[in-house]
Amino acid sequence: MTYLDHNATTPVRPEVVDAMLPWLREGFGNPSSVYSLGQKARAALERAREQVSGLIGASDPSEIVFTSCGSEADVLAIAGGAWQGHDESKGKRRKVVTSAIEHDAILLLGPQLRRRGFEVLEAGCGPDGVVAAAGMAALVDASTAVVSLMHANNETGVLQPAAEMMAAARAHGALAHVDAVQSLGKLSLDVESLGADLLSLSGHKVNAPKGVGALYVRRGVRLSPLVTGHQEKNRRGGTENLASIVGLGLACELAGRELSGASAHSLALRQKIEAGVLVLPGARLNGHPQQRLPNTAHFSFEGLDGHHLVVALDLEGICVSSGPACSSGASTPSHVLTAMGVDSKLATGSLRVSVGWGTTDADVDRFLAVLPKAVERLRALPAAL
Amino acid sequence: MKTRVLAAMSGGVDSSVAAALLVERGFEVVGVTMKLLPRAETGFGCCGSPSDVEDAKRVCDGLGISHYTADMSELFESKVIRPYVEAWLSARTPNPCVECNRSVKFGHLLGLAEAWGCAKVATGHYARLEDGRLLKASDLDKDQTYFLYSLTARELARVDFPVGGLSKTEVREKARALGLRVADKAESMETCFVPGRDVRGFVESRAESVGSSALSTGEIRDTSGRVRGTHSGLASYTIGQRKGLGVSSPDPLYVVRLEPERNELVVGGGDEVFVHSIVVGALSWTQAAPCGARRAEVRVRHRHPPASAELAPRADGSFSVCFDSPQRAPAPGQAAVFYEGDEVLGGGTILNGGAS
Repeated sequence: MTYLDHNATTPVRPEVVDAMLPWLREGFGNPSSVYSLGQKARAALERAREQVSGLIGASDPSEIVFTSCGSEADVLAIAGGAWQGHDESKGKRRKVVTSAIEHDAILLLGPQLRRRGFEVLEAGCGPDGVVAAAGMAALVDASTAVVSLMHANNETGVLQPAAEMMAAARAHGALAHVDAVQSLGKLSLDVESLGADLLSLSGHKVNAPKGVGALYVRRGVRLSPLVTGHQEKNRRGGTENLASIVGLGLACELAGRELSGASAHSLALRQKIEAGVLVLPGARLNGHPQQRLPNTAHFSFEGLDGHHLVVALDLEGICVSSGPACSSGASTPSHVLTAMGVDSKLATGSLRVSVGWGTTDADVDRFLAVLPKAVERLRALPAAL
Repeated sequence: MKTRVLAAMSGGVDSSVAAALLVERGFEVVGVTMKLLPRAETGFGCCGSPSDVEDAKRVCDGLGISHYTADMSELFESKVIRPYVEAWLSARTPNPCVECNRSVKFGHLLGLAEAWGCAKVATGHYARLEDGRLLKASDLDKDQTYFLYSLTARELARVDFPVGGLSKTEVREKARALGLRVADKAESMETCFVPGRDVRGFVESRAESVGSSALSTGEIRDTSGRVRGTHSGLASYTIGQRKGLGVSSPDPLYVVRLEPERNELVVGGGDEVFVHSIVVGALSWTQAAPCGARRAEVRVRHRHPPASAELAPRADGSFSVCFDSPQRAPAPGQAAVFYEGDEVLGGGTILNGGAS
């Protein structure tokens, strides 16, 4: 199998699995328990907190709140931040500013917040997939509770002006949230230089297992919890998913240690992919040509359905996607490409290729060997109308 | 390397067993469920509704084969739903299953299968294939060849009907033996995209974009020209229909023909809906087209016992079909399908069927 969909999820590294296993076996204690079994669990939890905080430049490990996933971290940041901001400002802050190209976890939160009386504004993006910082900043004012922008887009890989938006948020006293789920481990991340109050991340995008994520919460920032309970300093209740948290910790440490080499490796593979794909007739690259994650290439092919192409490649043992994994199945253009103004026919014919830990030159060669015939065969189909 | 076959899976028992039989026969089977309805209209238990997709996925999980969805809703809209509405609005009785098979299942899907490296497309239809010839199903009660007449020799070489040699009972037994959760799933008999069997309501909801007088009331006359009542718009009637005429009469009355030019519905006694001959257009042949006139048994609707007839080509490319004995209520828009014994020779669309 040739796996080229690291933006959807990543393989768990064997050393991460090894580090997790003791906490599923003899180290099963509850981190809140008094006796030594619990104390050991608690120590492992805190060690993981240090490892995660180290990767994002948090000044104190206590600023890391473990969650069940990146989506939960996003919702805790935005809904938890909006409710808290609303209450603390005695109802004055009732606006959330975000962008039209966010992950569904955030986009689908909009209607929920609107039903509860919040105004939710989504800034658009240019044809290059970059959200215009000036336009988005203009939406922020003293009534804004939270400003949220992704660091890198999950579909196109295009980098966003997160630091500028965080500055705009803080200038108006709003909470500044960065969704860094897709950039963690691919780019160097620093909450200080980003100026973020809140930053979400996810385990399974960095070679840790699914079912664990984290939210960085700057010291002094208060959020209304979504899951109540005393764990995580009352910010997120529920007995900690210790083994997975340990896995996330180690994965973050490894990602930090290997970042520059891994980035260069990804970039070389991506450039090879792009060079090989863009010589095909009717193929084009979506998104800003330079300002992108090193591991992500997003293409459109004229005259075919990207979903059909994904199936054709899967039948040859190659895993890629035509849009975000969460919405696979329907041949409808993605909200990101729509926001970029990509023609709907071209948007339907899209393909995302994302490399990562374990991707080899041979994987890329195999993909490039199989792709042209699959594209050609699908193009030979009569138009569906 | 195993031969790859695409199994079109609706989530029902027939296509599930078809896929299972192919796995048993040693093929590399790829399951596909077509999404035929736009998102907003799914959910009432038709092809490609979310629950059917789930059923198909679970069957594939159990068989250990891949499953994909293929969104063909735009194609289905343009080739099946829109022509269906237009037919009712021009006082014809459409046959959407024939169109779906022609354009979608054995049109686009067959092409997609080829692009995916599949040698064949298999479905759960009750029909048999022998040396590239299309034959009635072993279970004559379930035979679906009426809806498959438009398959050509080239297409027949690339399709498979694995359950065509089984009875429905055998199919359900097989499904139970395989532990398929869809073994006892109810059969879908209605037009899959018309919610709640309300054809008139559906046509009205779609009529705006088409525009037609077939939804306006008009006169009901009998064959002698006498006014017998008021009809609610010709789009609600089909030839041979008895129910819902709203005309009181000592003897039962039936729709004999629809006259869209005058917006009139013509009714008559039971004997008046029998016809000696029809004209059939848009012909399709499973093998080479006949050179001249020939004998055949002809079905004018699903489950109609095939009637002996003489087929003769006409100057305009259509065929006249003269029955040995008059047949009841062939309706324009429906298919006329030609058989020789068990074999399907071909068929076409009935152009005129009114009483002669």
